[in-house]
Amino acid sequence: MMNKKGLGSLLLSTMICGSLLSACGGNSNTSSTDSASGEAKPKPAEIVFALPSFNRIPDDLSKVTDAINAITTEKIGVKVDFRLFGPADYAQKVNLALQSGEKMDVFTTLGQFSNYVSKSQVAPLEELLPEHGKELTAILEKDFGADILKTTTMDGHVYGIPVNKGMALPTNFIYNADMLSQAGVAADGIQSVEDLSNVFAAVKEKLPDVVPFGPISVNPTETGIVNWMKGASKVDYLTDTTGVGVVIGDSGKVVNFYETDVFQKGIQMMRDWYDAGYLQKDTATTTITAMEMISSGRGFSFLGGYSGMEVGKQLSAQVGKNIETKRIAPFYFDTSAVNSVTWMVSSTSKQTEAAVKFLNLLYTDKDLINTILFGIEGEDYVKVDDHHVKFPDGLDANTVPYTAMLSSGIVGSESLQYQLEGINWSDVELKLKENKDTARSPYFGFIFDQGEVKTQISAVNNVVSQYLPALVSGSVDPGEIIPKFVSALKDAGAQAIIDSKQKQLDEWLAAQK
Amino acid sequence: MTARRKSPAKPLKKTLPLLLLAAPGLLYFLINSYFPMFGVFIAFKDVNYAKGIFGSDWIGLKNFTFLFQTSDAWIMTRNTLLYNLVFIALGTVVSILIAILMSELLTKLYSKLFMTGLILPNLISMIVLSLLVFAFLNADSGFVNHSILRPLGLPEINWYSEPKYWPYLLVLIQLWKTAGYGSIVYFASIAGIDKSIYESAKIDGAGKLKQIRMITLPLLKPTVIVLVLMSMGRIFNSDFGLFYQVPMNSGALFSTTQTIDTYVYRALMQLNDIGMSAAAGLYQSVVGFALVLTVNAIVKKVNPENALF
Repeated sequence: MMNKKGLGSLLLSTMICGSLLSACGGNSNTSSTDSASGEAKPKPAEIVFALPSFNRIPDDLSKVTDAINAITTEKIGVKVDFRLFGPADYAQKVNLALQSGEKMDVFTTLGQFSNYVSKSQVAPLEELLPEHGKELTAILEKDFGADILKTTTMDGHVYGIPVNKGMALPTNFIYNADMLSQAGVAADGIQSVEDLSNVFAAVKEKLPDVVPFGPISVNPTETGIVNWMKGASKVDYLTDTTGVGVVIGDSGKVVNFYETDVFQKGIQMMRDWYDAGYLQKDTATTTITAMEMISSGRGFSFLGGYSGMEVGKQLSAQVGKNIETKRIAPFYFDTSAVNSVTWMVSSTSKQTEAAVKFLNLLYTDKDLINTILFGIEGEDYVKVDDHHVKFPDGLDANTVPYTAMLSSGIVGSESLQYQLEGINWSDVELKLKENKDTARSPYFGFIFDQGEVKTQISAVNNVVSQYLPALVSGSVDPGEIIPKFVSALKDAGAQAIIDSKQKQLDEWLAAQK
Repeated sequence: MTARRKSPAKPLKKTLPLLLLAAPGLLYFLINSYFPMFGVFIAFKDVNYAKGIFGSDWIGLKNFTFLFQTSDAWIMTRNTLLYNLVFIALGTVVSILIAILMSELLTKLYSKLFMTGLILPNLISMIVLSLLVFAFLNADSGFVNHSILRPLGLPEINWYSEPKYWPYLLVLIQLWKTAGYGSIVYFASIAGIDKSIYESAKIDGAGKLKQIRMITLPLLKPTVIVLVLMSMGRIFNSDFGLFYQVPMNSGALFSTTQTIDTYVYRALMQLNDIGMSAAAGLYQSVVGFALVLTVNAIVKKVNPENALF
């Protein structure tokens, strides 16, 4: 009760402060609530901020929205209309708002960067950043290196702000450690993907009811297997997700990934595992994720990309099993690795200045970012120390009123975010260090403009979704299906995409010198 | 004076209740079907949000080309057309059958009860239905594999990667879902047939089957023609839920489950290009419109009374 009262008065005072502050700040949106003093003061600028949440979405966001506004109105004179959508709805909801002209100011890309840019749906920020986003730029350059904003620059305009988090996601082998020891295999022996066959064989022998391996998801763009191939063989997808125009290593030659040895070998490996019975029969169509399999005790392992070394602990807490991870392939930084999670400002926004101020605060204000992720202190979380929080007594991730902390990887600066109790803080530092140290593609910063081949890309997308899931899950014979796949891609116009990409890449390379 | 004032008011007074009755329907069509027509030109534009829809560049028929880009173009057109033809043909037959059985065999109370049961599938969402189907056909624990094929010692079937079964499955599912609902109109028309015709037929010694063949079916003909004509207009559209959700978007099944709608969805998921999706929609509508006109013309030739317009 006391708490609520306190919050109320705090809110009131900050609102007043905020409106005073904003009097000298940005132009206001016309919304009419009469101010207490009766004077006509400019209201705080209002922006809509849409965040995808990977957790349960609470029915009532008003408390958290109020808490966010308390911070933003005071500090930057911006009022935030906070929207929270599930990951599946997010892109759709944002696109709908953009297309219908509904207010939508700050949103994240979820892998669609060049798409938004090519349709002029996002506002160029390079003029606003030096004034309103100074700190933000400085932080990104400090943690990533000076060329970070190149990944979100097209035709000389900066269109997005990458998230400052561990972006290097080495491929991890994620497994149930209890089952591994039951099978009598030592974890130290697992160093590369070649070691896995023996592990699976041992698990299958000792635990015949357990499915040894599950692909994380067969959605063509985000399989553990495809990411493993990209990391292990230095494949740069060159910013689209189709995979028909990639460069391997530093050859500079754009090729169709599905025709390369790297792809064929990787798929053959999956086929061998499938034939050996390490995978479920219906992997290509199943709706049950590998994580669910593991938490129900029926699954043993999967491949996933995670930064840092502490992910096993987080996963253990989530699935209620003893989960450990082993890095089995490095990460390879290409442009999309950075710009796939990028914050953007809508080109229809009337409040671009306020939006950039808000973004700046997201990267610099500890209170704001943690309110967005963890909710209200005392109700949704309690602090343990400077960096760590835990759920209030008697509550857990499922019963706490508000939590979006699984979305921590997509918003703001990771170094400002609280971690759940038990997570080693040095891991955050390690992640940021790895951002700088991880091998980068020589084409880092190149962005493919899909404009002239979008018909081909749409056709190719369809072919990929027809063949790739069955191939990466090993459920079809690669010797028979890959040639069919490749010829269907040719029909769909893959060559035009490759040519267009090669041309743009050559121009880009020439401009770099 | 009074007479002059009355005469123009009278028709309005007479038609006002009817107009009011029609108003919600008219409004619905106006808002949902006629106003959006202005958007048709989006199909010919390269939509650029900075320039706005009206300011974007015209690009002619370029947005349409992706529909015909691959060898899949033929497959999806064939699938869409054939499935819809089968749905229309079988759906009509089964619906009429249900309607006749309902009207012939049961008392009023029973027919109401059965009708409700038959309509129920229509109310189930395709997503739920897809899970029901999945429960039957799942490779490991599905009912068919687990409880029928396995105990019988028959080889199990991996339903979601065998395209050859899906034409039958989809037709079956569609019939299960829509036939009951479709029978309502026929049921109503049968109820509207003058009972004295049947009485006199009975006196002349006609059995049940003969009555159905000679009286019910011929009198249903106009209804059938109108309904078939209407469904012709949507022959290039398909139930997205049925063709996308029910086969669980399984790539291996595309040769028999891909229709224009699912193709457009898959192809444009990543691109999010409203110009191209508008083009696809326009294409479907124009072909549907042409088909309605053609079929109506044929009906008019054969039997002018039964034509729609």
